Amino acid sequence: MIKTLALLLVLLLLAHPAQAHKLKVFASAEGAAISGLVYFSGGAKAMGVSGVVQGPDGAEVGRFATAEDGSFRFPVNVRMDHLIMVDAGDGHVASALVAADEFPASLPPTSLPQVAASARSAPTVASVAAAADMDAVEAAVARQIRPLRQQLDAYEEKVRLHDLLGGIGTIFGLFGIVAWLNARGRTS
Amino acid sequence: MAHIPDGVLSNPVLVAGAIVSTVGVAFGLKGLDPVRVPRVAVLSAVLFVASLIHLPAGLASVHLLLGGLAGIVLGWSVFPAMLVALVLQAVLFGFGGLVVLGVNTMDMAVPALLAGLLFRLAWRDGSPRRAAILGGLAGGGGVLLTAVMVACMLGLSGREFETAARLVVVAHVPVMAVEAVFTAAAVSLLARVKPEMLARAS
Repeated sequence: MIKTLALLLVLLLLAHPAQAHKLKVFASAEGAAISGLVYFSGGAKAMGVSGVVQGPDGAEVGRFATAEDGSFRFPVNVRMDHLIMVDAGDGHVASALVAADEFPASLPPTSLPQVAASARSAPTVASVAAAADMDAVEAAVARQIRPLRQQLDAYEEKVRLHDLLGGIGTIFGLFGIVAWLNARGRTS
Repeated sequence: MAHIPDGVLSNPVLVAGAIVSTVGVAFGLKGLDPVRVPRVAVLSAVLFVASLIHLPAGLASVHLLLGGLAGIVLGWSVFPAMLVALVLQAVLFGFGGLVVLGVNTMDMAVPALLAGLLFRLAWRDGSPRRAAILGGLAGGGGVLLTAVMVACMLGLSGREFETAARLVVVAHVPVMAVEAVFTAAAVSLLARVKPEMLARAS
């Protein structure tokens, strides 16, 4: 029995301190679409998780479900803030906001695309070409920095040793205060 | 995991959880013998760390809850110990919300308390072997009850109970196995070296 305990202790020491299960969603604009990843802190991918996309007014824009690798893609028609909310069904929820200015400028800015389109003057050939170039650049840059943003997002969640030690110290401090108050009560 | 985030549960469930936990914490602090304060502190620290460390268990990776062990050693004091551990996990790591602290504390501490009470009722003869078996049952049963309570809280908050229950309980099966072995080992060790830690609880 002591052997088992020793083995478990060794396992405990070997295991990297990380990841209590917390659901995370990472989302970013990729051209005229939102693409993202749903995962548990620590890295395990959440597959088959359903999500809801909301506009800035709280109205539902659409729904999606994550693929086997936890990724999802959602087409965007309007340049506005999109709130992505995912729910794993077992009490884990997470949300992420993709701001309007992440999307390409060529998308109509309101939810009334017909009005917006007719109000605009007829685009010249040159301005259409320039807009297309701009979109291509934006998409390329978004694609390039995406892994970086994703890594940063995951890094934020990492449980670090100093956090652990700080927590343990706080616990002992707290109960130390209880003990101190008790001792003071007894002497006076 | 009893790390329910904010915005999942309905208000009546939150209020009920807060009331149960407040009563539990009050009871735990009232009966707390000053001599036993360090023990509560150590167990609280263990609870805080245990659910942050993941163990490999087959394909999945699980983390211990250690509610059963804490309940056996602490009795009612498991409420304050659990509350402190969960507060720090929520504040430092964002595991579990702050508004749902009452419910999360209840989901963890009530099974722990029951496991401890039943262990003490059943463990009369003082034999380490019996303590190991009962400890294993208390550890595994504590995890199961926690999972069922989490599923109930989700069900009461308007989610589909069966789906939630299936997801939560299935996720906890490996935890139950590891926890049962760990608690059995720890309790049997205590029964041999320091049986007075198991015999009495305030």
